[in-house]
Order: sequence, then structure tokens, then C-alpha cells
Amino acid sequence: MDGVIQSLGVIFSLSGLVVLLIGALLGIVIGALPGLGPSIGLSLLIPFTYSMSPELSMLLMISLYTSAEYGGSISAILLSTPGTAAAAATAIDGYAMAQKGQANEAISISLTASTVGGVLGGLALLLLAMPLAKLALQFGPAGYFAVGLFGLTSVAALSGGSLVKGLLGAAFGLGLATVGIDPIAGTPRFTFGHFELYEGVPFLAALIGLFAVSEAMALAEKHACKAPMNKSRVGHVFMSAAVWKETWRSMLSGSVIGTLLGILPGVGGNIACWVARDYARARDPHPETYGKGAANGIAAPEASNNATVGGALVPLLSLGVPGSPTTAIMMGALIMHGLHPGPQLFAEQPTLVYAILFGVIIASLVQYLVGSLFLPIMARTVLLPDGVIAAGILTFAVLGAFAIRNLMFDVWMTLAFGLVGYAMKKLNFPVAPVILAMVLGYLVESNYRTALVSSQGDYMVFLTDPISVLFLLLSLVSILVPVRRAWRAKRPVRGGQGA
Amino acid sequence: MQREMTFTGRFIRRTMAVLCLMAGTALALPQTAAAEFPEKPVTLVVWSGAGGSLDTYGRKLAELLEREAGWTVKVDNRPGGSGAVGLSQIVTQPADGYNILVLTGTLTFGIAQGLIPFKLEDLRLLRAMQSEPSSLAVMNDSAFQTVDDFVTYMKEHPNELRVGGHSSGGFHQYMLYQLMKQGGFESGWIPHDASGKVTLALLGHHIDAAMMTPSTALSQVKSGEIRLLGVSTAERSPFLPDAPTFKEQGYDIEGAIWRGIAVKAGTPDDAVDAIQAAIDTVTASEEWKTFQEEQFQDSPDWAEAEFTERVQKDLAEQAEFLKSAGFVQ
Repeated sequence: MDGVIQSLGVIFSLSGLVVLLIGALLGIVIGALPGLGPSIGLSLLIPFTYSMSPELSMLLMISLYTSAEYGGSISAILLSTPGTAAAAATAIDGYAMAQKGQANEAISISLTASTVGGVLGGLALLLLAMPLAKLALQFGPAGYFAVGLFGLTSVAALSGGSLVKGLLGAAFGLGLATVGIDPIAGTPRFTFGHFELYEGVPFLAALIGLFAVSEAMALAEKHACKAPMNKSRVGHVFMSAAVWKETWRSMLSGSVIGTLLGILPGVGGNIACWVARDYARARDPHPETYGKGAANGIAAPEASNNATVGGALVPLLSLGVPGSPTTAIMMGALIMHGLHPGPQLFAEQPTLVYAILFGVIIASLVQYLVGSLFLPIMARTVLLPDGVIAAGILTFAVLGAFAIRNLMFDVWMTLAFGLVGYAMKKLNFPVAPVILAMVLGYLVESNYRTALVSSQGDYMVFLTDPISVLFLLLSLVSILVPVRRAWRAKRPVRGGQGA
Repeated sequence: MQREMTFTGRFIRRTMAVLCLMAGTALALPQTAAAEFPEKPVTLVVWSGAGGSLDTYGRKLAELLEREAGWTVKVDNRPGGSGAVGLSQIVTQPADGYNILVLTGTLTFGIAQGLIPFKLEDLRLLRAMQSEPSSLAVMNDSAFQTVDDFVTYMKEHPNELRVGGHSSGGFHQYMLYQLMKQGGFESGWIPHDASGKVTLALLGHHIDAAMMTPSTALSQVKSGEIRLLGVSTAERSPFLPDAPTFKEQGYDIEGAIWRGIAVKAGTPDDAVDAIQAAIDTVTASEEWKTFQEEQFQDSPDWAEAEFTERVQKDLAEQAEFLKSAGFVQ
């Protein structure tokens, strides 16, 4: 109990609050800049945290981590440029909403959903860390494979009008995911002698290229044609009761999905955002509004990516094993203070552990405060002329691409993806399936093969592992439900208005 | 008032100019005479991303080089290409000692597997400062108490247990390969792309045994949830006094993954000597010793000659292993 009170003392001290505010400010900006995500943000912070107490350094990192997950949605909504990989799903409906002149509403939905997700993920960490960690341990390679496959079934929902185009995009993405060192044999594949490709096609380069660079090109073209542009009014920060009523369910489901996928190493927000969006869409009475600016298409992914923060800290705190690059950096910072995360930390450093646990929740609230101050300024971005926005997007895209690994190779890669994205736009190919398939390709392939190596080639491993069976069934449902719906819609209903 | 201000201003400016000139000559003299290294900030190029053990080591080294040796140090993370990105960063810079590579023993595996398109001769290996062994680990509910138990079972049930560890064709698989040779059994290998995932796989009973660095499952090893059957050090580690070595159980298996520093080949001796002297002050400091203990790191402290010789030997042996295990033709 002492730990609880002392940790709250640290959080609500002047230095605690200042650190949380600074973290939120930096996080929103770093999140909004494409290419700079929470992990790069935290690695930039590391040198500054040496001189702080472990509690303050963790509060700063958590605050930046949380706010960056929200910040990524700002540029996704305003510029169709996901600032972080986990905001990719938000770009679809967020940008569509901004194009309708509702940028302000879109950001306020994102801010609220991010805060709700962050608080719920934090509560799950605070109250359920041990059971959640036990759950994470149940996932073996077969289970991870099935989760990845389940994620892939949402391609259909992202395909827009044409399922064939969606599937082609997904095939392209899966193909790209095979580039790099073979996860089992350890030999390079399709790298053409470029060691820059050993870790695979840099995912952020594809994300920035396909979304941001292609949009900059389209905007520049539009500007040249002097096409009329729908400009939005900047207004209030708070969500109206009607929007709350519309979105609370997807915020809730998004938070649960985000927390659960956040605890799984190698899954996290990049995948949770798509699954949450797909789940919200499947439950929605109006799935056809998705992709055209549906409020739930923002609320679900944004709640989920912030909820992954609490989830990702579960394995770190309860098992001492980092589940994501971001939490690995936090572990590194703790180690620099001579502390080793793990279950024994609860007994050795209760103040620190509770500062982290409560920190996730408080940081989400601070993020809401800072975010609402930022919102009116951010929302004004859309009032700029298209040419300026296009140039701005391109500048930040190149900066972000370089920031991935400080390599010009990644910049050229990003620009090449920009051209591909532009061509896809012209041919009405949705880019989201490519991104989704790239995120999931490695997860699916490496775990599929690991499962088979473990079982010595016995395919029954996918049917004997209960988690694998569960997610394979869910995948089946996810494929069959829309098919059944489409079939029903086509079939004339006897005595009804059909026929 | 106005005139007075400008006069004072001019006076200050002149005095400053004179002072600067004097300071300049004063500083320039010893510089041209002795050319103390370093004359400008030094970059530590860490060939992995932020947050891992190599990064933690690199950053501590940077901190102590600043504090103990008075250098100005910048840490630059250059992850990618199994280390090739960081290495290429070093070899494309002048050989003046201002770019120091922070690297690990995976260097030799990378070269032997053909993943790192450079040779050992492209570098001067200056100092190995940390090392961590591998170990054969099982859960505490496993029936195996010794390496012999494991070997006997594997001999009777070839390939039956799921044995895994970090990376494919790397250090830990190499250690298992040596155990296979000496114990005379066959075993598969389940690679994991992050060392933390090995711990999770073991805890979740998705693998039956792991070859792993003890510190990656530190809290579980300490609590006894994970049992180490054998550790690949010559003598029992002071950090793990209860964990037996392979050697004391009659298996001649010794190996560790080192972390150290290197510069580009052709770096002049005086720069190298200055770096070595600075490293000596770092390793002599109390803070470095505490850090090593907290990190559960052994301190090999091999200087250039011994370091180079060991790495050359590692490369030859590992190339042999990779060939016979079928990783390279």
C-alpha cells in the first residue's frame, strides 16, 4: 500500500506532472511526424533519462509512448499520412472525414478514443497483469499463426469496391514480406545483394510511401488543376453526446482488442488497429459507411492502438521480457538504472512499479489535456493551400524515411513506394491491403514454419493447439459472414420487397 | 549615454578579440605538438537498435568515456543487415579513430554465413569488454537435472524434444551443435527472432529446452522457475554460483558472445593507443565494475592481439560448423 501512495506522490509532484506534460507534448509531435514513432521517440529520450530518478524516467517514457500513439492519428486524419504504423487504419476513415470538412470532429473522436483506450489498457495492466501474462504464454507458434491469419481475413473489409483488387494488393504485400533473411533457414531471400534488405523491406518506408508520398503527389496534381477543395471549420474539442452514443461500443471493443493483442510479442498496435476496425465494421449495421468517413472507423483503431500500451507492458512487468521494440527500450532504460524488470520488481521497487501502472492511466489523461490544446492549431493545417500541404508532406516523409535507420536507401525506397502508391490511386487500388499484408506476412510465415518445425512436419499441430483452433474458426467466420450476407442480399426474399 | 555604450561595446569587443587570439595561440601550440586524441567529438556506432544489451553497453561506455576520459561522445544506432549497416558505416569513414564500432560476437557468424560482406581484416578489433555465455535451460518441472540426463534422453529419443533458441545458425545453435557432437545425439533447432521470445516459449512450454543466455530469463533463473543444466563458461559464474558448467559435467563446451569495440583497419597506432588508454580508465572505474555486476556480465578485457586471435579462431570453427550443419555450401 505504501508503494501505491508513494507512487501517486511521485506522479502528482511538480516534477512528475512536468515530466508527464513534456512527454505528452513530445509524444504528440513525434507521433504526428511520419516515420518517427514511439520507439524512435523513446530512443531519442534515453540519454536524458539517465540523470532522472527511475520513476520520473518511466513516467516520461510512458507519457511519450501513449501520446505518440494518439499523435500518429493527427497526420493520418489531416494529411492521409499515418504518423505511426498503428495509425494506418485511422487514415482511411479519418482522411475521408477530413475531406468532408470534418477534420475537427475526426481528431476529437481520435483524441477521445485514444484516451479511453489508454485508460482501459492501463486499468487492464493494473488489475489483470498476471492473468494476462499467463494468457500470453499460452500462445505458441500455431496460435500466433492463426492470429495472423485471422488478421489477414480483414483484407476483404479493406478492399473498397473490388475484392479482386484487395486480394491482389494483399498478395503484393505478402510478396514483399518474403524479402529478407529466411526466419528458419537464416539465409537471405530476394535481397539482390543489398544487406539493407536483410531485415525485410522496411515497413515504414512502404507505409510512408504508399500513404504519404502518393497523397502528396495527388494533392500537387489537384493544386495544379485548381480543383475546389472542401475546407473544414475549426471548432470544439469535445465530442457531442450523439457521437459518444455512436462510438462508445467500438471504443470499448477496440480497447479490449488492443489490450489483448498488445500483450502478444510481435503483434501489438500495428495489427490491433486493423483487427479493431474490422471488428467494429462487422458489428456495424452500416458497414458500407466505412472508408467513407465513419466515426467508428476512427474510434475503433485509435482506442485499440492506445490500449496496446498497457498491454505491451504486461510481459515486461510480470515476466521481465519485453514484447515490443518500444518496451525493450524502456527495459534498457531501467537496466541503465541498475534495475531488472520482472515479477521481483513488485517487491523490490513497489513505488516504481505503481508509478508505471498508474502512470499509463494518468498519462492518457494528460494526453487528453495536451491534445485538446493542440487540436485547434492542428486542425488549421487543412486550411493551408494544397500545394503547401503537398510540399510539407513530402518533406516530412523524406525526413521520416531517413530517420528509420539513417540510411538513404530507405529514402529511395520510400519514394519508390510513393510512385507505386500513386499508380495504385490512379487505378483505384486500395493501399491498405498491401500494408496489412506486410504487417502480417512475417508473423504468419515465421510462425507457420516454426510450428511445423516444432511438430516435425505434422500439420495436426494447428488443430491440436486450442488457441490455433479458436482463431482458425474465427477466420472462417470472418470470411463466411460477408459471403452469407451478400448471398442473402442477392437471393429474392419470398413475400418481401425483393424479386 | 549612447556614445558611452558604443565605446564600452567596442572596448569589450576588442578585449574579446585579443583574448581569443591569445587563447587560440595557446591552444594551437600543444595541438600541433602532441596531437592529443581526440581533438573532436567521437562517434560510437552501435550496430543494433536502441534498447538492447549492446545498446545499453554502448551508452554506458559513452557516458563513462565522457566522465572518466573527458571525451565528447555521440552514440549513433545503425541497426540492420545483421550488423552490416553499422560495419559499412565504419569502413566508409576515414580511418582516424573518430568512428568506433560497438559490436558483438555475432560478427564471425555473420561473416561465416556470408551475411556480412566484409572481412575481419577490414577492422582493428580493439577490446572485448563484456561477454555472456550460453546455457542449456529447462523449466523446473522438467525431469532433467543434469546435462547427462538430457543427453541420455536425446540419444534414446532422437529429435523428440523441441530444442530452440535465438536466431538460426548463430551462437546458441553452435553451442547445441557442439553438445550434439560430444554427446552423440541428434536434435532439431527451433529458431526465435528475439531472445525474449525464447524465454516466453520456454515458460509457455512451447519448447522443451533452450540454449540461451542466462540473463535473458534473469528473474525466472533467479526464482528457480527455469533450471540451467549447464553453462558454457570455464568456471562457475559468480552471478550464477548454483548453475553447473558443461565442463564440470565432462563436456568440453566453452563459449561466450562478446561485446566490444573496433575501428577501421588502417587507423594509426597513436589514435588506437589513445583509445586503449581511455578504455583502461573506463574499465578501472568503480562505476564500470558496478555496471558489469548489475548486468551480470563477465569482463574478458581482451586487448587487440588476444581479441583478434580469438575472433580469427572463432571464425574458422564457426565456418566449419555452418558447413557441416548445412547452412553454407
